[in-house]
Amino acid sequence: MLDFFTIFSKGGIVLWCFQGAGVKESFTGPVNALIRSVILQERSGSNSFTHERQSLKYKLDNEFELIFVVGFQNILTLTYVDKFIDDVQLRFRDRYKNELEQKGALKLLNNSFEFGDDFQRILREAEDNSKTRSPTYMRGFQESEKSKKTVKSMIETKGGDKGKEQGGKKNKTPAPEPAKVEKTSPSAKTVQNGNQGLTQEEIIQKKREEFIRKHTAAPAEKHSKSPKPQKPREKTKRVWGNAGTNTKDLDYSAKNGSSPGNEDKDLDAQNDLVRPPFTSTDAVAYLPSKKGGGFGGMFGMLKGLVGSKSLSQEDMEPVLEKMKEHLIAKNVAADIASQLCDSVAKKLEGKVMGTFTTVASTVKQALQDSLVQILQPKRRVDILRDVMEAQSQRRPFVITFCGVNGVGKSTNLAKISYWLIENGFTVLIAACDTFRAGAVEQLRTHQRRLNALHPPEKHGGQPVVQLYEKGYGKDAAGIAMEAIAYARNQAFDVVLVDTAGRMQDNAPLMTALAKLIAVNMPDLVLFVGEALVGNEAVDQLVKFNQALADHSMSDKPRLIDGIVLTKFDTIDDKVGAAISMTYITGQPIVFVGTGQTYNDLRSLNARAVVSALMKA
Amino acid sequence: MDKRSVAGDMGGKEDAKMLESPIEQYIESLRKHVEEQDPVFLISVVVALAAIIITCVFLKYFLTSKTVRSAVLLVGLCDSGKTLLFSRLVSGKFKRTQTSITDSSAPYKAKSDKGATWTLIDLPGHDSLRAQYLEKFKSAARAIVFVVDSAIFQKEVRDVAEFLYVLLTDSVICRNTPTLLVACNKQDITMAKSAKLIQQQLEKELNTLRVTRSAALSSQDGSVGGSVFLGKKGKDFEFSQLPMRVEFLECTALGNKAEEGEADIKSLEKSLAKL
Repeated sequence: MLDFFTIFSKGGIVLWCFQGAGVKESFTGPVNALIRSVILQERSGSNSFTHERQSLKYKLDNEFELIFVVGFQNILTLTYVDKFIDDVQLRFRDRYKNELEQKGALKLLNNSFEFGDDFQRILREAEDNSKTRSPTYMRGFQESEKSKKTVKSMIETKGGDKGKEQGGKKNKTPAPEPAKVEKTSPSAKTVQNGNQGLTQEEIIQKKREEFIRKHTAAPAEKHSKSPKPQKPREKTKRVWGNAGTNTKDLDYSAKNGSSPGNEDKDLDAQNDLVRPPFTSTDAVAYLPSKKGGGFGGMFGMLKGLVGSKSLSQEDMEPVLEKMKEHLIAKNVAADIASQLCDSVAKKLEGKVMGTFTTVASTVKQALQDSLVQILQPKRRVDILRDVMEAQSQRRPFVITFCGVNGVGKSTNLAKISYWLIENGFTVLIAACDTFRAGAVEQLRTHQRRLNALHPPEKHGGQPVVQLYEKGYGKDAAGIAMEAIAYARNQAFDVVLVDTAGRMQDNAPLMTALAKLIAVNMPDLVLFVGEALVGNEAVDQLVKFNQALADHSMSDKPRLIDGIVLTKFDTIDDKVGAAISMTYITGQPIVFVGTGQTYNDLRSLNARAVVSALMKA
Repeated sequence: MDKRSVAGDMGGKEDAKMLESPIEQYIESLRKHVEEQDPVFLISVVVALAAIIITCVFLKYFLTSKTVRSAVLLVGLCDSGKTLLFSRLVSGKFKRTQTSITDSSAPYKAKSDKGATWTLIDLPGHDSLRAQYLEKFKSAARAIVFVVDSAIFQKEVRDVAEFLYVLLTDSVICRNTPTLLVACNKQDITMAKSAKLIQQQLEKELNTLRVTRSAALSSQDGSVGGSVFLGKKGKDFEFSQLPMRVEFLECTALGNKAEEGEADIKSLEKSLAKL
């Protein structure tokens, strides 16, 4: 059923792999895609990933720096995969603990991990367990309860039982349910009491038996049921399981410490039943914390500071909450902050901390590293080099600016053309904003100013900046196409296409933009966003990308290639918009606008932004 | 009158004496105090002070000796074969690899008469991780092995050149001048370019790059990255103009018979032995 299963170290060496029968393609491609799009982009909150027709699930082991990946076909829905990965991980760790504990890759390289038999065994167990819930066959008429009932008992009488016409109302069985609930509550009580006395293995065994018992017992019960007991007609007061009977219990004024404690224990016990059996790491983390409470606060704190302690979810929870609040206060979009924190939690879970490091410092360091990683561009960003490349191919380099209203597209377009002129290129500005009053005049003013700064006499008689405009009201895509053709004829180096600002919800305008981009195939599509935007950034970028993807005809639609972050001088250290935008699109921030004069154009310094973000 | 003058003189002398006396008094009192002490105590104090000074000197000596650079870094673009090369150099075995997300390190014994041992460190090549791992390890680098995928070099030449540019203009690397070995990997593929060709292409590309990169925008807090100008102004860029030793060599980590065969990394091992 599984296509493949690999275990590899975070340094990239594959320790063991398994390829399902009949699977010919190598799994290196999908796993690399998984690593690049999920783990490196800090989206490891959910542990599954779809790549073409395969679905991949993964688990990070942060203590020994391993990654476990399983892949299977998308169309299959295998329910046992999550638990299966956990089991495999535990088994692998237990078996190879000595080799894995060594720091340094030498042991990993020299050892060959013979894991095949264990793996097959665990796979068979997992598949068998999933099959224990055998499909319930529909009962024939002979076996149903209706055939056992007499006609008389089914006739409805006033104040009697709720009979049914023989005509054929479906026989629902609410009766087995009360019996089942009854059965589980006494067993629940026994489990509550019995748990402390047993070891983990026995608890797992016990729970497995219960599970099987529940599911094999239920169909049998249904058969042995006698006809429904007579229900009294009047309404009985509904009793909830957890409810008390008198309101005096709700008075917490006297007992301050005891009641919450009791309720916590109750909830914990109930959660034990619902969650799958304890994994050994959970239990190990659980017990020392209980003991610590007994030893006194001071000793526990010292113990936490010195010596190796592995991080658990509960330890990181408060710190991550605080970090999330901090990020949101710095203008990072709310869902992005929570996704980031989940991803950092996944990356740190089970990791062993060094001596004299607190949980807070480890988490902060990890968060800082992942923020820097997000802001680092994932591809080369060098506009001048690309323009030179296009120059050598005798075609103009086309940059399109898009964004919502009022973010600074035309201003930053002028700044970018100034920078390009300073570096010796000739620029054609295409005025494709045919809607806003004064848009064309604005660009003409910029053109005049730039030409005054770099007079044509110094550049061989040809003006360095020219404006291509066709007035107002015309079709923007057509103007862009003509402008690019004109630039090719006149040998301009760069074409900067200015579009009208549009709200992301405005469907006809988004279609028009998508058409402009799909038809003209620019070299660079830049989304202009202001740094003041908060949660809106997520919505804008998602909808812009969606529109561009939907309305393009080809298989590989042109999406947003880069981001221009404007009005950066208006925010002092609330720089979260940079994170939101790069996280959503995965594209780098190419320019940063820091003012309204021609010199106010910068590039992004990831470290400076992250330190401003993490500053208290 | 004589008496008065003498008295005046005496007064003057007394004044002078009084000026010196705070200092002298202090020294006097110190001397008395010290002489009062038990000589054993004095000796022990002197010995303790000497011990502290000696340990300070030793620590300084040891700390500086620790930063003797003894690491050989394996860097390069994603999918250029660094992790496989690492595995071959350290253990000679073939291992399947995936994209690395952290560094791996292992000791490596050079195959030469001296047989010095280096630490071979394999850094991840992915764009978002490159910078931070380079930051961490660049100061400890004795040599840098830059792995290039020779088969798809034509398509990637600008990315390779940019990474090389970042490496060469880094201030720490310029100061330490580690040896740069450019390993043109994947020579077993028929379309692979030779080391000479790759060297020429890179020189041309870096020539253009040093112009465009110096014209790049400064970052928003005003800092301009690496303001080192590669090579000599006015002349075309060549690797021989660099302060560090640069060597181009060919190798194939996969080997001619894929998994079973030996990798052809002899030239790489020879160069590493020369370090």
